[in-house]
Amino acid sequence: MKMLVVYEKMGPHRFIGHLDLQRAMQRALRRAGLPVRYSQGFNPHLLLSFAAPLSVGVQGAREVMELPLAREMEEQAFLDRLNAALPEGLKALAARALEEETPPAMARLQAARYTLKPEEGLEALGQALPGFLAQASIPFEKRGKAGVRQADLRPLIHDLQLHGGALHALLALSEQGSARPDQLLASLCEYAGIPRPRCLITRTALLDKRLLPLEQP
Amino acid sequence: MNPEMNQRLEALLETVQRPARYTGGEVNAVKKDWAGRTTFCFAFPDTYEVAMSHLGMKVLYEAVNREDDLLCERAMMPWVDMMAGLKEQGIPLFSLESHRPLRDFDAVGFTLQYEMSYTNILAMLDLGGIPLEGRQRPPEAPFVIAGGPCAFNPEPLAPIIDAFLLGDGETATLEMLRVIGQGRAAGLSREDILVNLAGVPGVYVPSLYEASYHEDGSLAAFTPLMPQAPLPIRKRLELDLDAAAFPQRTPLPFSEAVHDRIVLEIMRGCTRGCRFCQAGMLYRPVRERSPEKLLELAKGLFEATGYEEMSLSSLSTGDYSQLLGLIGSLNACFMDQRVSLSLPSLRIDNQLQEALVDTARVKKSGLTLAPEAGSQRLRDVINKGVTEEDLLRSVTEAFEQGWSSVKLYFMIGLPTETDEDLLGIADLARKVVACYYALPKEKRARGLKVVVSASTFVPKPFTPFQWAAQDSLDDIRRKQALLREALKIRGVTFNWHDPQTSFLEACFARGDRRLAKVLLRAYALGCLLDGWSEHFNYQAWLQAFRDTGLDPALYANRVRGKGELLPWELADIGVTRAFLWREHERALAGQVTPDCRLGCEGCGLRRFDGVCLP
Ligand code: SF4
Repeated sequence: MKMLVVYEKMGPHRFIGHLDLQRAMQRALRRAGLPVRYSQGFNPHLLLSFAAPLSVGVQGAREVMELPLAREMEEQAFLDRLNAALPEGLKALAARALEEETPPAMARLQAARYTLKPEEGLEALGQALPGFLAQASIPFEKRGKAGVRQADLRPLIHDLQLHGGALHALLALSEQGSARPDQLLASLCEYAGIPRPRCLITRTALLDKRLLPLEQP
Repeated sequence: MNPEMNQRLEALLETVQRPARYTGGEVNAVKKDWAGRTTFCFAFPDTYEVAMSHLGMKVLYEAVNREDDLLCERAMMPWVDMMAGLKEQGIPLFSLESHRPLRDFDAVGFTLQYEMSYTNILAMLDLGGIPLEGRQRPPEAPFVIAGGPCAFNPEPLAPIIDAFLLGDGETATLEMLRVIGQGRAAGLSREDILVNLAGVPGVYVPSLYEASYHEDGSLAAFTPLMPQAPLPIRKRLELDLDAAAFPQRTPLPFSEAVHDRIVLEIMRGCTRGCRFCQAGMLYRPVRERSPEKLLELAKGLFEATGYEEMSLSSLSTGDYSQLLGLIGSLNACFMDQRVSLSLPSLRIDNQLQEALVDTARVKKSGLTLAPEAGSQRLRDVINKGVTEEDLLRSVTEAFEQGWSSVKLYFMIGLPTETDEDLLGIADLARKVVACYYALPKEKRARGLKVVVSASTFVPKPFTPFQWAAQDSLDDIRRKQALLREALKIRGVTFNWHDPQTSFLEACFARGDRRLAKVLLRAYALGCLLDGWSEHFNYQAWLQAFRDTGLDPALYANRVRGKGELLPWELADIGVTRAFLWREHERALAGQVTPDCRLGCEGCGLRRFDGVCLP
């Protein structure tokens, strides 16, 4: 069996880079004495995979990781033991026991929800929003391994609303294409003609193609 | 930190590299209530990644926090981007735990690991809101204390540090903090508390002494200003390491540290008597932790951290009397948890290597050897008891066991060194390469890599070479060029550094209290993070010497006479001047001195009432 774990990465923990987070989670699993599995070979490593890395500075309210287990375990017992080894702000929120054959979370991932709380400029952004979304395409420069290339943000924005003092976005996040929330903010600010404000971004959900959370396969 | 400042800090963290260095809140970090406690900030004068690799900080952090009446928090040197941001935002340098400015603590303690971190101490004091010099500090300012290997020559920091601890800190630090806490509670003046600190065994309070100088710049006299100021100051010793504090719940860095693993200190001290090695003299006598204690500590550390790697720390791991047993029991204990044991820089003159191949969980990280000098003659001078035969045997064994990379460490500029000795380095490298090719092709691993590193020799206090001159920069550069040519060998890489940093190290390692002026001036000229080559500004340092009218060559390149009073002789490390001088003369005569476990060589430590080997 394998265990899917939903966890948070809030507050100061948003500054931990992905590699550092991987290491921190592996060590927590080891401290907790959970029945983890290791790769073969001379330098075995603990088998653990993450649905999607989070950029440094962005909070995660319901992030997802998965690991194969060496023996069966109750979800609640797993959760309790793991949490005893995790610091505040990096707690596990749910554990789901899954069949080994369930496709990996990473492969099921299609989209993510974000909230963006800009420190200022909310009014201007609200006014710009309808026009921004009405554009047929929103070109931007995407930086990748292969250098800078032109890409279109519009088809990657599934939904974008402003209410309660925050922007709420549903963005594509899959191997076929992803939009970054900071890029969305940059493009929207550019369209609204305002400088980019400081903005706390939180990823609130990771969704599959049915737009259901990954922990409900 | 007030909420508004916290806001500004949050905003700042979003703009700096590796913000996790500054957030704290790591697993096992300790946050105690300040009320009614003496507060201590352990300040590490280098970046988070370096600090969090340092065992001494972990030891003291836990030793202090274990006490109910005390608390210990941590602060490190911010990187340049953060430093600029803190200044711009008017945020003082703060501790990781409670986010309080350094100036709010009762005591701030620096560890002195290397001379080139001294400007960082000034920067941290400055950013933390503490006046740089002791005499400028108001009554409520923290007591600035320091320890670590460089505290054995405290003089270049004399006006800056209020009190130094010479020697082991596990117990003495607690005593110092209590003198400060109780003194403050009783309403004593800052001066009175300093006098009381001088009463703690092993503590040196520089403001209670006075130094005068001869015309030629050498030290004329060093005198206590009051009867309460001891001279010499005898170093502190933890005699029973099983009883000494050792960390069990070390804070786990979020941002990876240079050495991010369980570190077990198996032994303190070394009896080999290498003549260039300061630690070998400072940390006598040899004291071992028992294998049972170490296993217990290792288990606790694993449970508290989940680390995947473990290393053993000591000056000479191969000399630990029960090494094989220890490795065996550690491996057996941690087999299931997949904790690998790494054993860096093993001494080459023992059969350990063989035993290690049987233990599958020992990491193969390549073979590291430190012959230190290229010829037998020069190895005899420095008393590095290793022969070419030993070396080549270790190398051959390593190649046979499937290793293909070897690192060889040397020093250049050693006393009496000739070009012939230097060319011996190339000779040795060539022989190592030959050992590899002597094996049949199918028996050796592919990709031979021999790395030869040559550092510049820095004569250190409390060694038989404490009287010696460092080679001039020109000499060192000529020697490096010679070696660069001679080491153009296939499969061999040569590593070397410009000797400017070593030159300054040599100045400060054997400096007197006048050098503090240079340090303050260099800091004012913008020098900091000198240990990071991209920030090291040699010209500014030279200017600081010029501006203060001191000649660096007087410190680095001068041969001291037998009768000269040396600034660091305020400390009694156990080993006597007479022993060091005898070793100095034997060195120049090329005579070796055997490992003193084979028979006491009379270094002087026995004066410390029966503390040495039976
Ligand atoms: S007193 Fe003798 S045995 Fe002890 S460290 Fe000194 S020389 Fe070695």
